[in-house]
Amino acid sequence: MKVTVCIGSSCHLKGSRQVVETLHALIEEHQLTGRVELAGTFCMGNCQSGVCVRRDGELFSVTPETARHFFETEILPVL
Amino acid sequence: MNKLCADIGWRSMNKWGEELCGDHVEIVENDSATTVVLADGLGSGVKANILSTLTAKIISTMISQDMELEECVKTVISTLPVCAVRGVAYCTFTIIRITNSEEAEIIQYDNPQVILLRDGHGVDYPVTEMNIEGKTILRSRVKLREGDVFIAMSDGCIHAGVGMELNFGWERKDIVEFMEPMSVTDFTAKTLNTILLDECNRLYGGQPGDDTTACTVRIRERKPMNLLMGPPADRDDCNRMMSLFFAKGGKHIVCGGTTSSIAAEYLGKPVVPDLEFSDPEIPPTATIEGVDLVTEGVITMSHVLTYAQDYLADNALYTKWSYGQDGASRIAQLLFEEATDINFFVGRAINPAHQNPALPINFSIKMRIVDQLAECLEKMGKKVKVSYF
Repeated sequence: MKVTVCIGSSCHLKGSRQVVETLHALIEEHQLTGRVELAGTFCMGNCQSGVCVRRDGELFSVTPETARHFFETEILPVL
Repeated sequence: MNKLCADIGWRSMNKWGEELCGDHVEIVENDSATTVVLADGLGSGVKANILSTLTAKIISTMISQDMELEECVKTVISTLPVCAVRGVAYCTFTIIRITNSEEAEIIQYDNPQVILLRDGHGVDYPVTEMNIEGKTILRSRVKLREGDVFIAMSDGCIHAGVGMELNFGWERKDIVEFMEPMSVTDFTAKTLNTILLDECNRLYGGQPGDDTTACTVRIRERKPMNLLMGPPADRDDCNRMMSLFFAKGGKHIVCGGTTSSIAAEYLGKPVVPDLEFSDPEIPPTATIEGVDLVTEGVITMSHVLTYAQDYLADNALYTKWSYGQDGASRIAQLLFEEATDINFFVGRAINPAHQNPALPINFSIKMRIVDQLAECLEKMGKKVKVSYF
Protein backbone atom coordinates (compact mmCIF):
# COMPACT_ATOMS: atom_id res chain seq x y z
CA MET A 1 0.00 0.00 0.00
CA LYS A 2 1.24 3.48 -0.79
CA VAL A 3 0.33 6.44 1.41
CA THR A 4 1.22 9.84 -0.06
CA VAL A 5 1.19 12.97 2.08
CA CYS A 6 1.08 16.42 0.49
CA ILE A 7 4.04 18.59 1.55
CA GLY A 8 3.07 21.62 -0.54
CA SER A 9 3.01 25.13 0.93
CA SER A 10 -0.56 25.07 2.14
CA CYS A 11 -0.48 21.59 3.66
CA HIS A 12 2.88 22.34 5.22
CA LEU A 13 1.29 25.24 7.08
CA LYS A 14 -1.54 22.98 8.16
CA GLY A 15 0.90 20.52 9.70
CA SER A 16 1.94 17.97 7.09
CA ARG A 17 5.23 17.46 8.91
CA GLN A 18 3.46 16.27 12.07
CA VAL A 19 1.21 14.02 9.98
CA VAL A 20 4.26 12.47 8.29
CA GLU A 21 5.98 12.00 11.63
CA THR A 22 2.93 10.42 13.27
CA LEU A 23 2.31 8.02 10.38
CA HIS A 24 5.98 7.17 10.18
CA ALA A 25 6.12 6.33 13.90
CA LEU A 26 2.90 4.28 13.74
CA ILE A 27 4.12 2.30 10.73
CA GLU A 28 7.30 1.41 12.59
CA GLU A 29 5.41 0.63 15.78
CA HIS A 30 3.23 -1.85 13.93
CA GLN A 31 6.21 -3.21 12.00
CA LEU A 32 4.63 -2.39 8.65
CA THR A 33 7.68 -0.79 7.09
CA GLY A 34 7.79 -3.23 4.17
CA ARG A 35 4.04 -3.21 3.58
CA VAL A 36 3.15 0.46 3.77
CA GLU A 37 5.18 2.85 1.66
CA LEU A 38 5.09 6.43 2.92
CA ALA A 39 5.81 9.10 0.31
CA GLY A 40 5.54 12.84 -0.15
CA THR A 41 4.19 14.90 -3.00
CA PHE A 42 3.96 18.57 -3.83
CA CYS A 43 0.53 20.20 -4.10
CA MET A 44 -2.33 17.89 -5.01
CA GLY A 45 -4.53 20.84 -5.94
CA ASN A 46 -6.87 20.24 -3.05
CA CYS A 47 -5.52 22.71 -0.53
CA GLN A 48 -8.89 23.60 1.05
CA SER A 49 -9.10 20.15 2.63
CA GLY A 50 -5.46 19.84 3.68
CA VAL A 51 -3.50 18.09 4.93
CA CYS A 52 -4.17 16.01 1.82
CA VAL A 53 -3.31 12.33 2.07
CA ARG A 54 -3.75 9.78 -0.70
CA ARG A 55 -4.07 6.09 0.14
CA ASP A 56 -3.42 4.35 -3.17
CA GLY A 57 -5.95 6.19 -5.37
CA GLU A 58 -8.24 7.54 -2.67
CA LEU A 59 -8.06 11.07 -1.18
CA PHE A 60 -8.38 11.82 2.54
CA SER A 61 -8.20 14.95 4.61
CA VAL A 62 -6.06 14.49 7.71
CA THR A 63 -4.85 16.85 10.43
CA PRO A 64 -2.07 16.30 12.98
CA GLU A 65 -4.83 15.54 15.54
CA THR A 66 -6.61 12.98 13.38
CA ALA A 67 -3.49 11.27 11.99
CA ARG A 68 -3.62 8.41 14.50
CA HIS A 69 -7.35 7.92 13.92
CA PHE A 70 -6.74 7.88 10.16
CA PHE A 71 -4.08 5.23 10.58
CA GLU A 72 -6.29 3.07 12.80
CA THR A 73 -9.40 3.31 10.61
CA GLU A 74 -8.09 3.68 7.08
CA ILE A 75 -4.74 1.91 7.01
CA LEU A 76 -4.71 -0.91 9.58
CA PRO A 77 -8.07 -2.51 8.63
CA VAL A 78 -7.35 -2.39 4.90
CA LEU A 79 -4.08 -4.28 5.07
CA MET B 1 36.22 40.75 -20.51
CA ASN B 2 37.25 37.32 -19.31
CA LYS B 3 35.38 34.83 -17.18
CA LEU B 4 36.52 36.40 -13.91
CA CYS B 5 34.78 38.88 -11.68
CA ALA B 6 35.40 40.58 -8.36
CA ASP B 7 33.48 39.51 -5.27
CA ILE B 8 33.68 42.28 -2.67
CA GLY B 9 32.76 42.27 1.01
CA TRP B 10 33.50 44.81 3.69
CA ARG B 11 32.52 45.73 7.24
CA SER B 12 33.44 48.30 9.87
CA MET B 13 33.43 48.12 13.63
CA ASN B 14 33.21 51.40 15.49
CA LYS B 15 35.64 52.33 18.21
CA TRP B 16 34.09 51.24 21.49
CA GLY B 17 31.61 53.87 22.65
CA GLU B 18 31.50 55.79 19.35
CA GLU B 19 28.27 56.34 17.46
CA LEU B 20 29.98 57.02 14.14
CA CYS B 21 32.72 55.24 12.32
CA GLY B 22 35.85 57.11 11.29
CA ASP B 23 36.52 54.67 8.45
CA HIS B 24 34.64 54.69 5.18
CA VAL B 25 34.41 52.26 2.27
CA GLU B 26 33.14 53.31 -1.12
CA ILE B 27 32.64 50.95 -4.06
CA VAL B 28 31.98 52.26 -7.57
CA GLU B 29 31.32 50.06 -10.54
CA ASN B 30 31.21 51.12 -14.13
CA ASP B 31 31.42 49.21 -17.41
CA SER B 32 35.04 48.20 -17.38
CA ALA B 33 36.25 48.79 -13.85
CA THR B 34 35.39 48.37 -10.20
CA THR B 35 36.95 50.80 -7.76
CA VAL B 36 37.11 50.23 -4.02
CA VAL B 37 38.27 52.97 -1.69
CA LEU B 38 38.91 52.46 2.01
CA ALA B 39 39.56 55.70 3.88
CA ASP B 40 40.50 56.12 7.54
CA GLY B 41 40.00 59.60 8.99
CA LEU B 42 42.19 61.12 11.67
CA GLY B 43 40.95 60.44 15.17
CA SER B 44 37.49 59.04 15.71
CA GLY B 45 33.89 60.14 15.94
CA VAL B 46 32.27 62.89 13.86
CA LYS B 47 35.46 64.53 12.59
CA ALA B 48 36.99 61.28 11.42
CA ASN B 49 33.71 60.28 9.87
CA ILE B 50 33.51 63.46 7.80
CA LEU B 51 37.16 63.24 6.74
CA SER B 52 36.95 59.64 5.64
CA THR B 53 33.58 60.02 3.90
CA LEU B 54 34.80 63.05 1.95
CA THR B 55 38.04 61.36 1.00
CA ALA B 56 36.44 58.12 -0.12
CA LYS B 57 33.71 59.91 -2.07
CA ILE B 58 36.07 62.29 -3.84
CA ILE B 59 38.56 59.60 -4.78
CA SER B 60 36.04 57.02 -5.90
CA THR B 61 34.11 59.51 -8.01
CA MET B 62 37.20 60.95 -9.66
CA ILE B 63 38.98 57.63 -10.24
CA SER B 64 35.89 56.03 -11.69
CA GLN B 65 35.70 58.93 -14.17
CA ASP B 66 39.23 58.07 -15.33
CA MET B 67 40.91 61.08 -13.74
CA GLU B 68 44.66 60.91 -13.17
CA LEU B 69 45.75 59.70 -9.75
CA GLU B 70 47.87 62.79 -9.06
CA GLU B 71 44.83 64.92 -9.76
CA CYS B 72 42.72 62.92 -7.28
CA VAL B 73 45.27 63.06 -4.49
CA LYS B 74 45.82 66.80 -5.00
CA THR B 75 42.09 67.41 -4.87
CA VAL B 76 41.70 65.41 -1.68
CA ILE B 77 44.57 67.17 0.03
CA SER B 78 43.39 70.65 -0.90
CA THR B 79 39.73 69.95 -0.07
CA LEU B 80 39.88 68.30 3.32
CA PRO B 81 38.98 70.52 6.26
CA VAL B 82 41.84 71.14 8.66
CA CYS B 83 41.49 69.81 12.18
CA ALA B 84 41.47 72.71 14.64
CA VAL B 85 43.11 70.68 17.40
CA ARG B 86 45.91 69.08 15.42
CA GLY B 87 46.28 71.64 12.63
CA VAL B 88 46.34 68.98 9.92
CA ALA B 89 43.91 67.50 7.48
CA TYR B 90 44.72 63.89 7.44
CA CYS B 91 43.06 60.85 6.09
CA THR B 92 44.79 57.67 5.00
CA PHE B 93 43.39 55.68 2.13
CA THR B 94 43.70 52.55 0.04
CA ILE B 95 42.41 52.27 -3.51
CA ILE B 96 41.96 49.00 -5.34
CA ARG B 97 40.88 49.40 -8.91
CA ILE B 98 40.08 46.31 -10.93
CA THR B 99 40.04 46.80 -14.68
CA ASN B 100 38.33 44.36 -17.05
CA SER B 101 38.79 41.63 -14.42
CA GLU B 102 42.37 41.45 -15.69
CA GLU B 103 44.44 43.78 -13.61
CA ALA B 104 44.33 45.30 -10.15
CA GLU B 105 45.87 48.68 -9.55
CA ILE B 106 46.55 49.29 -5.88
CA ILE B 107 47.22 52.77 -4.53
CA GLN B 108 48.03 53.16 -0.87
CA TYR B 109 48.61 56.05 1.42
CA ASP B 110 49.61 55.21 4.99
CA ASN B 111 47.08 52.43 5.59
CA PRO B 112 48.40 48.94 6.42
CA GLN B 113 49.61 47.43 3.15
CA VAL B 114 47.02 45.52 1.18
CA ILE B 115 47.41 41.78 1.63
CA LEU B 116 47.43 39.59 -1.47
CA LEU B 117 46.75 35.89 -0.95
CA ARG B 118 47.38 33.62 -3.90
CA ASP B 119 47.13 29.80 -3.82
CA GLY B 120 46.84 29.91 -0.05
CA HIS B 121 49.94 32.02 0.56
CA GLY B 122 50.62 35.66 1.26
CA VAL B 123 52.40 37.07 -1.80
CA ASP B 124 54.60 40.15 -2.13
CA TYR B 125 53.81 42.31 -5.11
CA PRO B 126 55.95 45.04 -6.66
CA VAL B 127 55.45 48.47 -5.15
CA THR B 128 56.51 51.81 -6.66
CA GLU B 129 56.90 54.86 -4.45
CA MET B 130 55.58 58.16 -5.75
CA ASN B 131 55.67 61.59 -4.27
CA ILE B 132 52.57 63.70 -4.71
CA GLU B 133 52.29 67.04 -2.91
CA GLY B 134 54.84 65.88 -0.37
CA LYS B 135 53.00 62.67 0.39
CA THR B 136 54.47 59.24 -0.25
CA ILE B 137 52.05 57.13 -2.21
CA LEU B 138 52.59 53.46 -3.01
CA ARG B 139 51.42 52.20 -6.34
CA SER B 140 51.24 48.62 -7.65
CA ARG B 141 49.84 46.74 -10.59
CA VAL B 142 48.96 43.09 -10.25
CA LYS B 143 47.82 40.76 -13.03
CA LEU B 144 44.80 38.91 -11.68
CA ARG B 145 44.45 35.18 -11.31
CA GLU B 146 41.41 33.20 -10.32
CA GLY B 147 41.30 32.76 -6.55
CA ASP B 148 43.32 35.88 -5.71
CA VAL B 149 42.22 37.50 -2.45
CA PHE B 150 43.02 41.14 -1.68
CA ILE B 151 42.47 42.47 1.83
CA ALA B 152 42.52 46.21 2.51
CA MET B 153 42.46 47.29 6.16
CA SER B 154 42.38 50.32 8.39
CA ASP B 155 44.99 50.38 11.15
CA GLY B 156 42.34 49.28 13.64
CA CYS B 157 42.90 45.74 12.32
CA ILE B 158 46.63 45.54 13.01
CA HIS B 159 46.23 47.24 16.37
CA ALA B 160 43.70 44.70 17.56
CA GLY B 161 44.63 43.42 20.97
CA VAL B 162 47.38 45.96 21.74
CA GLY B 163 48.06 45.81 25.45
CA MET B 164 45.25 43.33 25.96
CA GLU B 165 45.54 39.93 24.33
CA LEU B 166 48.83 40.81 22.66
CA ASN B 167 51.68 43.15 23.48
CA PHE B 168 52.09 44.77 20.11
CA GLY B 169 48.79 44.05 18.52
CA TRP B 170 48.21 41.84 15.61
CA GLU B 171 50.82 42.45 12.97
CA ARG B 172 50.23 42.30 9.25
CA LYS B 173 52.17 39.04 8.98
CA ASP B 174 49.95 37.48 11.66
CA ILE B 175 46.88 38.46 9.72
CA VAL B 176 48.41 36.94 6.56
CA GLU B 177 49.05 33.72 8.46
CA PHE B 178 45.53 33.72 9.90
CA MET B 179 43.85 34.29 6.55
CA GLU B 180 46.03 31.96 4.43
CA PRO B 181 44.12 28.74 5.15
CA MET B 182 40.76 30.54 4.74
CA SER B 183 41.64 31.92 1.34
CA VAL B 184 41.64 28.54 -0.40
CA THR B 185 38.10 27.66 0.72
CA ASP B 186 34.94 28.56 -1.16
CA PHE B 187 34.09 31.29 1.36
CA THR B 188 32.76 34.49 -0.21
CA ALA B 189 34.55 37.80 0.22
CA LYS B 190 31.90 38.80 2.75
CA THR B 191 32.47 35.66 4.81
CA LEU B 192 36.28 35.93 4.69
CA ASN B 193 35.95 39.53 5.77
CA THR B 194 33.60 38.62 8.62
CA ILE B 195 36.05 35.96 9.85
CA LEU B 196 38.84 38.55 9.94
CA LEU B 197 36.80 41.22 11.72
CA ASP B 198 35.40 38.75 14.25
CA GLU B 199 38.97 37.78 15.14
CA CYS B 200 39.91 41.47 15.53
CA ASN B 201 36.89 41.96 17.76
CA ARG B 202 37.90 38.93 19.83
CA LEU B 203 41.43 40.30 20.27
CA TYR B 204 39.97 43.63 21.34
CA GLY B 205 37.92 41.75 23.92
CA GLY B 206 34.73 42.95 22.24
CA GLN B 207 35.68 46.60 22.79
CA PRO B 208 37.61 47.85 19.74
CA GLY B 209 40.15 50.50 20.70
CA ASP B 210 39.96 52.08 17.25
CA ASP B 211 37.63 52.11 14.25
CA THR B 212 38.33 48.80 12.54
CA THR B 213 37.53 48.17 8.90
CA ALA B 214 38.47 45.51 6.39
CA CYS B 215 37.49 45.13 2.78
CA THR B 216 38.09 41.83 0.99
CA VAL B 217 38.13 41.43 -2.77
CA ARG B 218 38.09 37.90 -4.11
CA ILE B 219 38.69 37.19 -7.80
CA ARG B 220 36.47 34.38 -8.92
CA GLU B 221 34.97 32.83 -11.97
CA ARG B 222 31.55 34.04 -13.12
CA LYS B 223 28.85 31.52 -12.22
CA PRO B 224 25.37 31.89 -13.66
CA MET B 225 22.39 30.58 -11.69
CA ASN B 226 18.74 30.36 -12.77
CA LEU B 227 15.74 30.24 -10.50
CA LEU B 228 12.22 29.46 -11.63
CA MET B 229 9.29 30.30 -9.38
CA GLY B 230 5.57 30.19 -10.08
CA PRO B 231 3.59 29.07 -13.14
CA PRO B 232 3.07 31.66 -15.91
CA ALA B 233 -0.08 33.80 -15.76
CA ASP B 234 -1.18 32.29 -19.05
CA ARG B 235 -0.94 28.51 -19.00
CA ASP B 236 -0.21 28.50 -22.74
CA ASP B 237 3.08 30.21 -21.91
CA CYS B 238 4.44 27.19 -20.00
CA ASN B 239 6.50 25.83 -22.86
CA ARG B 240 7.96 29.19 -23.76
CA MET B 241 8.89 29.87 -20.12
CA MET B 242 10.42 26.40 -19.64
CA SER B 243 12.41 26.47 -22.87
CA LEU B 244 13.86 29.89 -22.03
CA PHE B 245 14.67 28.75 -18.50
CA PHE B 246 16.34 25.47 -19.42
CA ALA B 247 18.24 27.06 -22.34
CA LYS B 248 20.25 29.15 -19.86
CA GLY B 249 23.72 28.03 -18.87
CA GLY B 250 24.54 27.34 -15.21
CA LYS B 251 22.55 25.65 -12.49
CA HIS B 252 18.76 25.50 -12.38
CA ILE B 253 16.61 25.84 -9.28
CA VAL B 254 12.86 25.24 -9.39
CA CYS B 255 10.66 26.55 -6.55
CA GLY B 256 7.04 25.66 -5.99
CA GLY B 257 4.84 22.59 -6.18
CA THR B 258 2.89 23.41 -9.31
CA THR B 259 5.95 24.96 -10.88
CA SER B 260 7.98 21.81 -10.36
CA SER B 261 5.28 19.65 -11.92
CA ILE B 262 5.28 21.94 -14.98
CA ALA B 263 9.07 21.67 -15.19
CA ALA B 264 8.90 17.89 -14.75
CA GLU B 265 6.33 17.61 -17.50
CA TYR B 266 8.48 19.71 -19.82
CA LEU B 267 11.49 17.49 -19.13
CA GLY B 268 9.45 14.29 -19.28
CA LYS B 269 10.75 13.17 -15.87
CA PRO B 270 8.91 12.49 -12.61
CA VAL B 271 9.07 14.72 -9.50
CA VAL B 272 10.34 12.63 -6.61
CA PRO B 273 9.64 14.42 -3.32
CA ASP B 274 11.78 13.73 -0.31
CA LEU B 275 10.18 13.24 3.11
CA GLU B 276 13.21 14.37 5.07
CA PHE B 277 12.46 17.44 7.22
CA SER B 278 15.95 18.61 8.05
CA ASP B 279 14.50 21.89 9.29
CA PRO B 280 11.01 21.54 10.78
CA GLU B 281 9.98 24.97 9.50
CA ILE B 282 10.88 24.37 5.89
CA PRO B 283 9.06 21.92 3.61
CA PRO B 284 11.17 19.10 2.16
CA THR B 285 12.87 19.30 -1.21
CA ALA B 286 12.37 17.05 -4.22
CA THR B 287 14.37 15.83 -7.18
CA ILE B 288 13.75 16.03 -10.90
CA GLU B 289 16.38 14.63 -13.23
CA GLY B 290 17.93 17.61 -15.05
CA VAL B 291 17.18 20.16 -12.30
CA ASP B 292 19.83 20.96 -9.70
CA LEU B 293 17.43 21.75 -6.87
CA VAL B 294 13.66 21.46 -6.46
CA THR B 295 11.96 23.06 -3.45
CA GLU B 296 8.60 24.20 -2.22
CA GLY B 297 7.79 27.82 -3.14
CA VAL B 298 6.75 30.71 -0.96
CA ILE B 299 7.61 29.41 2.55
CA THR B 300 11.08 28.34 1.46
CA MET B 301 11.71 31.60 -0.39
CA SER B 302 10.61 33.74 2.54
CA HIS B 303 13.29 31.99 4.62
CA VAL B 304 15.84 32.65 1.88
CA LEU B 305 14.89 36.33 2.04
CA THR B 306 15.41 36.36 5.81
CA TYR B 307 18.88 34.82 5.34
CA ALA B 308 19.69 37.39 2.64
CA GLN B 309 18.70 40.33 4.82
CA ASP B 310 20.72 38.91 7.70
CA TYR B 311 23.73 38.30 5.42
CA LEU B 312 23.73 41.98 4.49
CA ALA B 313 23.42 43.01 8.13
CA ASP B 314 25.58 41.13 10.65
CA ASN B 315 25.66 37.69 8.96
CA ALA B 316 24.56 36.06 12.24
CA LEU B 317 22.55 33.25 10.63
CA TYR B 318 25.50 32.18 8.48
CA THR B 319 26.20 28.99 10.42
CA LYS B 320 22.54 28.01 10.08
CA TRP B 321 22.24 28.22 6.31
CA SER B 322 25.79 27.51 5.23
CA TYR B 323 25.61 23.91 6.45
CA GLY B 324 21.85 23.31 6.31
CA GLN B 325 20.45 20.68 3.98
CA ASP B 326 16.90 22.06 3.86
CA GLY B 327 15.56 23.79 0.75
CA ALA B 328 16.03 27.37 1.98
CA SER B 329 19.61 26.80 3.13
CA ARG B 330 20.54 25.13 -0.13
CA ILE B 331 19.06 27.98 -2.18
CA ALA B 332 20.96 30.44 0.01
CA GLN B 333 24.22 28.55 -0.56
CA LEU B 334 23.68 28.55 -4.33
CA LEU B 335 22.57 32.18 -4.61
CA PHE B 336 24.76 33.92 -2.02
CA GLU B 337 27.95 31.88 -2.28
CA GLU B 338 28.13 30.15 -5.63
CA ALA B 339 26.36 32.47 -8.07
CA THR B 340 27.59 35.71 -9.59
CA ASP B 341 24.87 36.20 -12.21
CA ILE B 342 21.31 35.30 -11.29
CA ASN B 343 18.32 35.02 -13.60
CA PHE B 344 14.90 34.87 -12.00
CA PHE B 345 12.04 33.46 -14.04
CA VAL B 346 8.90 34.47 -12.19
CA GLY B 347 5.45 33.26 -13.14
CA ARG B 348 2.56 35.52 -12.26
CA ALA B 349 -0.18 32.91 -12.01
CA ILE B 350 -2.35 33.27 -8.92
CA ASN B 351 -2.60 30.06 -6.95
CA PRO B 352 -6.31 29.84 -6.01
CA ALA B 353 -5.43 27.66 -3.04
CA HIS B 354 -3.32 30.45 -1.54
CA GLN B 355 -6.02 33.12 -1.78
CA ASN B 356 -7.42 31.94 1.51
CA PRO B 357 -7.50 34.57 4.25
CA ALA B 358 -6.65 31.86 6.78
CA LEU B 359 -3.25 31.31 5.18
CA PRO B 360 -0.31 33.65 5.72
CA ILE B 361 0.70 33.39 2.06
CA ASN B 362 -0.78 35.03 -1.00
CA PHE B 363 0.08 36.34 -4.42
CA SER B 364 1.28 39.80 -3.40
CA ILE B 365 3.58 38.31 -0.75
CA LYS B 366 5.14 36.08 -3.38
CA MET B 367 5.85 39.01 -5.72
CA ARG B 368 7.23 41.07 -2.85
CA ILE B 369 9.61 38.29 -1.82
CA VAL B 370 11.07 38.15 -5.32
CA ASP B 371 11.51 41.94 -5.49
CA GLN B 372 13.16 42.14 -2.08
CA LEU B 373 15.39 39.15 -2.70
CA ALA B 374 16.56 40.58 -6.04
CA GLU B 375 17.38 43.85 -4.27
CA CYS B 376 19.37 42.04 -1.56
CA LEU B 377 21.30 40.04 -4.15
CA GLU B 378 22.20 43.22 -6.01
CA LYS B 379 23.52 44.65 -2.76
CA MET B 380 25.69 41.53 -2.47
CA GLY B 381 27.22 42.57 -5.80
CA LYS B 382 25.44 40.01 -7.98
CA LYS B 383 24.12 40.77 -11.43
CA VAL B 384 20.41 40.06 -11.21
CA LYS B 385 17.85 39.83 -13.99
CA VAL B 386 14.16 39.22 -13.30
CA SER B 387 11.82 38.12 -16.12
CA TYR B 388 8.09 37.85 -15.58
CA PHE B 389 5.74 35.50 -17.39
